[in-house]
Amino acid sequence: MSVAHRIAEQFETREQQREADSLGTWVFLATELMFFGPLFLAYFYGRTHYGEGFAVASGRTHVWLGTANTALLLTSSLTMALAVRASWIGRRGVTLLLALTAALGVAFLAVKGIEYRKEWDEALVPPFRFVFAGEHARAVEVFYWLYFLITGLHALHLTIGIGLVLWLALRARRGDFGPHYHAPVEMTGLYWHFVDVLWIFLYPLIYLLERWR
Amino acid sequence: MNPAPVRTYVLVWAALIALLALTAASAFVNLGAFNSVANLAIAAAKALLVAAFFMHLRRHASALVRVFAGAALFMLALLFALSGADYATRHIAPAAWSSPPSPTP
Repeated sequence: MSVAHRIAEQFETREQQREADSLGTWVFLATELMFFGPLFLAYFYGRTHYGEGFAVASGRTHVWLGTANTALLLTSSLTMALAVRASWIGRRGVTLLLALTAALGVAFLAVKGIEYRKEWDEALVPPFRFVFAGEHARAVEVFYWLYFLITGLHALHLTIGIGLVLWLALRARRGDFGPHYHAPVEMTGLYWHFVDVLWIFLYPLIYLLERWR
Repeated sequence: MNPAPVRTYVLVWAALIALLALTAASAFVNLGAFNSVANLAIAAAKALLVAAFFMHLRRHASALVRVFAGAALFMLALLFALSGADYATRHIAPAAWSSPPSPTP
């Protein structure tokens, strides 16, 4: 048994150690929610005060790219959860599942990049390149400010997640994880799913406002 | 650790994709204010599925961990309720001097 496989001296049992790991990670995720929360509140304010303008702005987003991206991220959560499961019971395939998760994350970022490119071409990027004629120009500008701030922050989180998952894949290939030691995989999994949940809420808020018009 | 079978994970994923299709399709039908309600309800359902099964809050988390997860949501609700109450009840009165004077050449 290597050092990593032993229980840290402050814990009585392996279960207690896992409990502390989980609790610490959830506290971190709670602070992350406080970090993103005010941005959602800003959106809520805009949507309730300039509803019409936000709907017009949402109509200019690329709904099918956004939908495809949501499917990619949901699928990456499946592969991540299966990677955690495999590491729990010491099955092989952890490396492959982690690599797949990272690949799906990279695919998400690539699609997001295509979207940003399109928005740049359509001059919807305040304050650098924003041209919008019409009565809701100010509200549309506020929407796109929030859009780039929130999706950019989300993409940054995803990039960190991809880095962590790739690092775990390398360690899994070395055979670091098994039934007795898998905390890094499990805790990174929690973070990955949290980033997925953020996107689950961002998707309808960004892309689906009054699409029927 | 005795995890759920792979089948469970795949079924949860299938449910997530089905809910994604439902929310995307419903957005193209005019339901009035119910469009927003449906979108947010479906997003909450998806988040609940991810938290319960993928983040293991359902079977492999202690009551304490669940309380902490709930506390995060409670703090977010406080943020929305208290700040929102202010914004919802405050009348925005544009000042008479809101447009800045243009500089004289």
